[in-house]
This record gives sequence, structure tokens and C-alpha cells, in this order.
Amino acid sequence: MIKGSKGKFFSGIEIYGFLILVSVYALLPFIWMLSTSLKTEAEAFRVPPTWIPIKSTLDAYVSMWTKKHFGIYFLNSTVISLATAVLSTFFGALAGYGFSRFVFKGRKFLIGFFLATQMLPGVLLVGPYFKILSKFGLYDTRTGLIIAFLTICLPFSTWMMKGFIDRVPDALDQAALVDGCSRLGVFFRVILPISAPGMVATIIFAFLLAWGDLLWVICLTSTESMVTVTLGIARTVGEFQIMWPMLMAGALMGGMPAIILYLLLQRLLVQGLTAGAVKE
Amino acid sequence: MGGDGGEGKTSMKLLKIKDRQMWIFFVLPGTILLVLVLAFPAFQSILYSIYPEGGGSSYSLNNYSILFSDSVFRQVFGNTVLFVILSVASHLLLGLGVALILNRDIFAKPLFRLIALLPWVVPDVVVGIIWRWMFDPVYGAFNDLLIKVGLISTHVQWLSNPKLALLSVIFVNLWRGFPFVMLILLAGLQSIPKVLYEAGAIDGASRWQLFARITLPSLKKMLVVALALDIVWEVRRFGLIQAMTQGGPGNITEVLSTYIYKQYFQFFRFEYASAVAVVMTVALLMVSLPYIWMISQEE
Repeated sequence: MIKGSKGKFFSGIEIYGFLILVSVYALLPFIWMLSTSLKTEAEAFRVPPTWIPIKSTLDAYVSMWTKKHFGIYFLNSTVISLATAVLSTFFGALAGYGFSRFVFKGRKFLIGFFLATQMLPGVLLVGPYFKILSKFGLYDTRTGLIIAFLTICLPFSTWMMKGFIDRVPDALDQAALVDGCSRLGVFFRVILPISAPGMVATIIFAFLLAWGDLLWVICLTSTESMVTVTLGIARTVGEFQIMWPMLMAGALMGGMPAIILYLLLQRLLVQGLTAGAVKE
Repeated sequence: MGGDGGEGKTSMKLLKIKDRQMWIFFVLPGTILLVLVLAFPAFQSILYSIYPEGGGSSYSLNNYSILFSDSVFRQVFGNTVLFVILSVASHLLLGLGVALILNRDIFAKPLFRLIALLPWVVPDVVVGIIWRWMFDPVYGAFNDLLIKVGLISTHVQWLSNPKLALLSVIFVNLWRGFPFVMLILLAGLQSIPKVLYEAGAIDGASRWQLFARITLPSLKKMLVVALALDIVWEVRRFGLIQAMTQGGPGNITEVLSTYIYKQYFQFFRFEYASAVAVVMTVALLMVSLPYIWMISQEE
């Protein structure tokens, strides 16, 4: 926008004041989480509460790993989310390429179908999933969860990958086809390498969707060995006495992968999310 | 392109036709997968919803008549509508406000954007847990801060007071959700050519006119995308409420997702829960159908 144009709504002070207020609003809960996670059990229950721990300790983190099987939760979340992300991005890339490059009968309908499935609420599906997975012996397994997470991730991945592939000029495909490359060859040797950043963004987005889910995990698992990070955190809420420092340490560690991945790939993710909405 | 002999031409043509059919190879795997993992279970849910509760053989709409006369269901439905409308409206207001400011030439812009993005980045379960602890009436940070600033004088029960609980949850959801709208709108703002504003300024347009005539119309599509996705996500919101209140006190903060989960896995009323889920899905599809229509027609 133009600097120094007349009739500005707000002065600089007001704008920075607002920004600082928003930043405080956004940051305070994180600071509170970090601060609590470094406290002793006794200090967490002090009145009035302290913002900087009088005695900082990593006990809460250690107990999360030793008393709460946080290692298992972390491993489960990682394995399940990674498998989901890779699978859904691969199938999403295939379908995205198909939608991007081909004109065929029923194309609009299929695109509508992919979009509509993205709208379906998980609670519509958890009941049947519970029964179907039990029937096939997949209830309370990682495989079962991966299948379930595909429901959340595949429509999104397809949409994102289509957006990224749309940005690759069709002339490249044509050139490769003329050179004797097959369609498959075009897809694997031209399109995928060029849209590698887009694939990474899609994989990460799908990973985070799966990582953050609670509904499916809570409905489709029953044993301690299948608990994920989110479920491990959510379950402690029902306990008689909540160990807040431990819980905050868990929350922080559970949120960390998401924070790091987002910050690294902010720009790509925005591109992916808005794919289709901004067209050149 | 194209061969010179008659034979070569036909084979080239055949190749082209063959190539045109290749969409099946690309689109089919994903479609089949979606039908298997989504459409099939969804259909099964509809079937459950017309089974009689507790066994029996005849199909009926009985579960639906039970739920529409159920006062708890009506309360939960109302909660969900209020939760979604207030969440999305507040996301839009704050998201647009912050996006407009971050689109200016300001000091330390990347830092502010990064900070504002953080709440959306962490899993919503984590958000629910943090704020539950923030809201703790005695040991929590929220009351302590508000008392220090002088906004309140006694400890407020944010999550156990029936009059406040739902609003408190919505307040947390504002915190959680505004960064997404901000992010999308910021991307939209940055794609508006600066020339437009310069031309407007030369024509003597005021700031407000520039905003109403250039900014808003250019943002229209981004606004629709942000709104549609946000509505769908907020209708389905589960982890945040489950971690913070589990629907309590009473049914004050119960939304459709948590309600259906309870009917399924705590009360084992599969048929009734399916009926509620079907109603929820129909409502959700009705809200998002214009969006789906718009996008698929454009493609």
C-alpha cells in the first residue's frame, strides 16, 4: 500500500499497539505452557501463580518419557502419520494429475465428489469403521488407523497436488510425449520431479492432519500400545488429579513437530492451501 | 506432428485416443480408494440410522423422530450453530484485521506473522489442554492476569459457570482459528497489483474507497475459500472441546461431534448416533454445497 497517503485510518502507534496486543494474545498460552512444564508439581499449585519458575526442572519431561510411555505415543504418531502422508500424497498426485491434464466426461462430477468427501464429518464414519475394522481384525492396529486417516487426507492431498501440478505448463508434457515418453513416464519423470516442493508440502500437510487427530484414535484404539500423542494428552484430562507440569511437557512435545514443520514450510503450505483460489 | 503415410496417421490418432483415455489410470485409484474408505462407510452409517434401536428387523425413520423430539439433541444442535457462527465470524474479523496490517510496510513483519500463525499450528487437543489450564480458576494464568490488569476482582469460573462455559470455549477457538483466515487473506492481499491502488490514489479515492472498491472485491474468492473451509472445520471440531470440557458442565458446551462420539462409544447407541451423524452431515453438505458447486464448475 502507499505510504504516507492522506486519510489513513490509524496512526503508527495504534497499529503497533494492536499488533503487540495480538502477539501477546497469541503467545501467552505458549509461554504459560513452557513455564508450567518447567515447574515442580508443588509450584504449579501456587497461589498466585508464578510466570517464571522459581525452581526450574526438567522432571516433568523425564516423567513423561519414563512414567507415561510417551516414547510409544510418539512412535505411534510418527509411523501412522508418515504412512498416511506418503500414501495419500501418492494417490493424490495421481488423481491431481488426472484432473489437471485430462478433459473427460464426468470430470466436474468427480471433482465435486472429491470436494464433497472433504466435507464429510469423521463422526459419520467412526461407527461403521469400528465395526468393519473389528471384522477384519484391524481394530486397535496401526494399519486400521492409517486406513482411517486416508479418509481425512486423500481429498486434501488430491486438491493440493492438483493445484501444484496446474502450475507446471502442459507444454512440458507435450514435449516429453513427442519425444516418445509415455504418459506414465511423463508423470514419474517430468511432473513429479518438478513438483517435488509441492509434494513435500502436501506430505507435510497430510502428516500434520493425521498427527493432530484425536477423534479416530479415540474411537479405533483400546490398548496402551496403540495410543498416539494426542490421545495420550487427552486421556490425562479424565484422571483424578491432573499432573499439570507433566501434561504441559507432553503438550509442548506433542506440538513441537507441527510448529517446526510449519515454520520451515510456511510459504509452500500457503500456496497449497490456496491452490485453485489464486489463479494467474 | 503426424506421420506422412496413411498408416502412420491412424496409429498416431489411435495413440492420441489412447492417451486421452489415460485419465482413468490416474483418477481411478484415488476414486476407488475414496469410495471404499469414505462412501461405503458413509452409506453404512445411513443404513444403521434406519435400523430400529436395540435390534429388530424392519427399517424405519424411528431414530429420526426420536432425535428430533429429544431436547438434548436440540440443545446440542443449537450449541453447534452458535459455536460455528461466532467462531467463524470472529476468525474473519480478527483474521482480516491482522492480515490488512501485515500487508503494510511495517517493522519486523515476518516475526509478527510467525507469532500470529503459532496458535493454528499446534493440534487442537494441545490447544484445549493449554487453555483448560490457563482457565483454571485458582491456579490458572488467565484469572491472575485479568486481576493484575484490574479487569476482574474475583476468580471467575470460566469453564464451570454454565453462563460462561460456551463463550469461553468460543474465545479459545477464536485464538486457535484466526491465523488460518489471516494466512489465506494475506496471500490474497499480496496478489492484488499495487498499480490498482496507485491508480485509485491518483483519482483521489479515499482510503475507505480504496478498501471497498479494490481490496474487498479482489479478496472475494479468498474470502469464500477461507469461509467455506473454516465453517466445515468448525462444525467438525472435536479435539479442542473434548480436551477442554468434554461437553460439560451438563450439556452446555456439547457440540454435535462430541455428542455423537458419546452416543457411540459411551452409551453404545449405534443406531441413534448414526441418525444424529446423518443429520449433521446433511446440514454440513447443505452449507458447503454452494462452495463445492462454485469450485467444480470453475474447474
